[in-house]
Amino acid sequence: MAHLKAALSRTLQLALVLWAVVTILFLMFRLMPGNPMAAYIDPTFTAEQQEALMAQFGLDKPLWEQYVIYLGNLLQGELGQSFRYREPVAERILALLPNTLILTFTSLIIAYAFGILAGAYLAWRRGSAVEKVAIPIVLTTRAMPEFWLGMVLLAIFSFWLGWFPAGGTRSAGSDYGGFWGLYTSPDFLAYLALPALTLAIYSQGLPLLLMRSNMLDVMKEDFVTMARIKGLSTWTVVVRHAARNALLPVMTSFAIAVGYQLQGNVVVETVFSWPGLGRELVRAVSASDYPLAQGAFLLIAVVVILMNLIADLLYSLLDPRVSHA
Amino acid sequence: MMSFRKAVTSTALLLVLSAAPALAGDPIRTIEILTRPQAAQPQEFQSVQLIAQEWRKLGLDVNVKVMPWEQMSDVVWYQRDAWDATAWQMVGRPERSDPDEIVYNLFHSSTAEKGYNFIGYVSPEYDAVAEAQRKEVDEAKRKELVFQAQELLAKDQPNMMLVHPKQSFAFDKTVWDPASVVNQSGIGIRNTWTFLSLTPLGEKKDIVLNSADNVQAINPLYISGGVDSWVFELVYDRLARVGPDGLPKPWAAESIEWTGDKTVTVKLREGMKWHDGQPVTPEDVKFSFETAVSGEAPMYAPFASNIEKIDIDGSNITFTLKEPSASFVTSSLAKINLIPRHVWEPIIEDLKTKEENAESHQEQTPIGSGPYKFERWLTNEEIVLSANKEHFNAPKADRWILRIVPNVEAALGMLRSGEINFLAEFGGDPQVLIDAAAQDGDLEVVSTVEMGFRYIAFNNRRPPFNDPAFRRALSAAVDRRLIVKAAFRGFAEPSNSIVSPALSFWHNEAVVKNFETGGEVAAKILEEAGYTLDGDRLHYPGDQKETLAQQ
Repeated sequence: MAHLKAALSRTLQLALVLWAVVTILFLMFRLMPGNPMAAYIDPTFTAEQQEALMAQFGLDKPLWEQYVIYLGNLLQGELGQSFRYREPVAERILALLPNTLILTFTSLIIAYAFGILAGAYLAWRRGSAVEKVAIPIVLTTRAMPEFWLGMVLLAIFSFWLGWFPAGGTRSAGSDYGGFWGLYTSPDFLAYLALPALTLAIYSQGLPLLLMRSNMLDVMKEDFVTMARIKGLSTWTVVVRHAARNALLPVMTSFAIAVGYQLQGNVVVETVFSWPGLGRELVRAVSASDYPLAQGAFLLIAVVVILMNLIADLLYSLLDPRVSHA
Repeated sequence: MMSFRKAVTSTALLLVLSAAPALAGDPIRTIEILTRPQAAQPQEFQSVQLIAQEWRKLGLDVNVKVMPWEQMSDVVWYQRDAWDATAWQMVGRPERSDPDEIVYNLFHSSTAEKGYNFIGYVSPEYDAVAEAQRKEVDEAKRKELVFQAQELLAKDQPNMMLVHPKQSFAFDKTVWDPASVVNQSGIGIRNTWTFLSLTPLGEKKDIVLNSADNVQAINPLYISGGVDSWVFELVYDRLARVGPDGLPKPWAAESIEWTGDKTVTVKLREGMKWHDGQPVTPEDVKFSFETAVSGEAPMYAPFASNIEKIDIDGSNITFTLKEPSASFVTSSLAKINLIPRHVWEPIIEDLKTKEENAESHQEQTPIGSGPYKFERWLTNEEIVLSANKEHFNAPKADRWILRIVPNVEAALGMLRSGEINFLAEFGGDPQVLIDAAAQDGDLEVVSTVEMGFRYIAFNNRRPPFNDPAFRRALSAAVDRRLIVKAAFRGFAEPSNSIVSPALSFWHNEAVVKNFETGGEVAAKILEEAGYTLDGDRLHYPGDQKETLAQQ
């Protein structure tokens, strides 16, 4: 019963947050300076065309009416039609989403695998020379702007050494038949390497530092001392006892990172000409393409909210001491 | 409390003052000039800074206001009396090789309220010339009129023309024979003719080029982004095409003949086929022009609305116009895409029953009759076209592959590393491109004076910009060579005419040559028009008041 009540209030909260997001998105783009008609200004653009376009985009109606229509459409799962591309927003987002997801997850998995291992290692080697060198490096890479890091990697690995291509997801004119054909091809992996590496370098700092500080805490705990006294090997103590316990907050931070990474992709997708959602979002905002910008932002907001929820649930699942009652 | 005497004298003084002829008008308010940000438009931003500096020397208080394009266009276009001056640009397009579009739409009084004459220039004398050149079918006589229009604009200076920039493009000369590259006047080497004639030197036979922006649609009935037109100009044929010299040439037409001042007879080329194998018929041509005005393709409507009727006789198609139109071949026959009736008729019929129009209809596989066939479109990544070997002007290359590269520096890097072999868009400093080519050795850069131009639009509705003398002075205050050198680093031509020197037939050279500039010239014009300097602040002539609030 308590669980049911908790779940219900949780759902209500979610609905409220979503409604607020949707409303802010609606107002934000309409109150921003700029006009979707700007893209059509041309010597041959007549007054009749302007009126026809306004009507077609539904911008001739008062704001409240636009809002009601927008909410009504959303409830039916309808995101509207992009002003700029004249095609359904949902179709466009779905076409770009896989590229963004694959880049996000590849880079985060690399970042977390590396961060967790390196964090545990650095905690174990606390006070050593390795730590003195490694921590400043980690902090530096964490602080580097993504676009700068991306440009440096491009200059070195693509333009200077020629190891990796500079932009896109596949070589010009290549055809892989479909989804899986492409994503499993070496060609695709070569194109994925640099943007994924950039994002991974940018994101490894958080799991690494989190893992290290957790480890340092855990290593002071009684059960670790106990294991040491029992005469277990250092490896067993660090990996099987300390690391497993320190891992918990790092794993939940992964869920939240997925949400944030979707936004972080914006810059890297532009630097590496990666056809993802982030790049489209920037273009939609600057072109005042309200439906497309709203749709893309809404998707990102939903992912962030969901990932936060998952992080919460994961926590209580992995650590029974945390409860939602 | 004021004494009675004091009150009387001050009243008397006031009366005397208001009765006496005023020596000068009000000081001119702070003038605002709009520009886009330096990061987005470095040359424009730099030009405006230089201009503001020169204007200040005349005794004006000038405020440079920076706005992103979306906001600037919104103010300039929809709040037509709320701004003073703004930087603006007109880009070159093949169909603008005929001066009509610019001469008429930018300055005719009929477009002042809602069209492109957003500056509000109203001159009955100019209107008459602009209308006359539109109807004059005799080329020599029309040239006279277009020259006259340029002279009137030079006299009135409704805009301050700055420069015709140079466009720089590059290609890999180890892949493509440099002799096969076509430099279209006023457009540059990125054009349809180049894409047809580029001849491979070795194994690489695909033209791989870049664009910074995404492709919006490949739709023969929707005028969408500039990049989109590169694609549909290759997939679709037109009756005529603007040639490398800027003049229209018959294309899908074997011949185009004026048979009266309102009738044009076109003979359709024999043996043309749509990409699905069906023959191209005169009925298809008629259908294409009728669809433009059907209400389902509003953006193409202005280009076909002057057609009264279309008659077919064998392979001859006769267009009868409502009004004589000198630019008809360029602005209609070279503009309307030929579309297959068997594909589009059912679509158009269906759309007539619906709210949306043909602009939102994207075919899975666009079917044209053009020199390239549509193969594949990967959203925001690339477009692949393949050569139509059966075409009457078949391309020498195998495929045409457009890669979307939003990162300018990366595009140059890709050209050097071979990921692309034709740099079709470069937003950076042209000198960087030329230096990179010199260093590389495999690249060739071609810079061409554009038919497009950069200018400062004056709001002719607002004083003091409603005074031609004031506009003339402000325009004369700035030596255009300064703009060319400092803002465009030499990659531009000074301008004083809306017709680029690239369009040598229509360009009135005298207008540019006889244009005197400099601070002294400007100061003299202002003085002659009655403007006065009080201290270092410029005042209106006579007793003119400042009617607009200080911003």
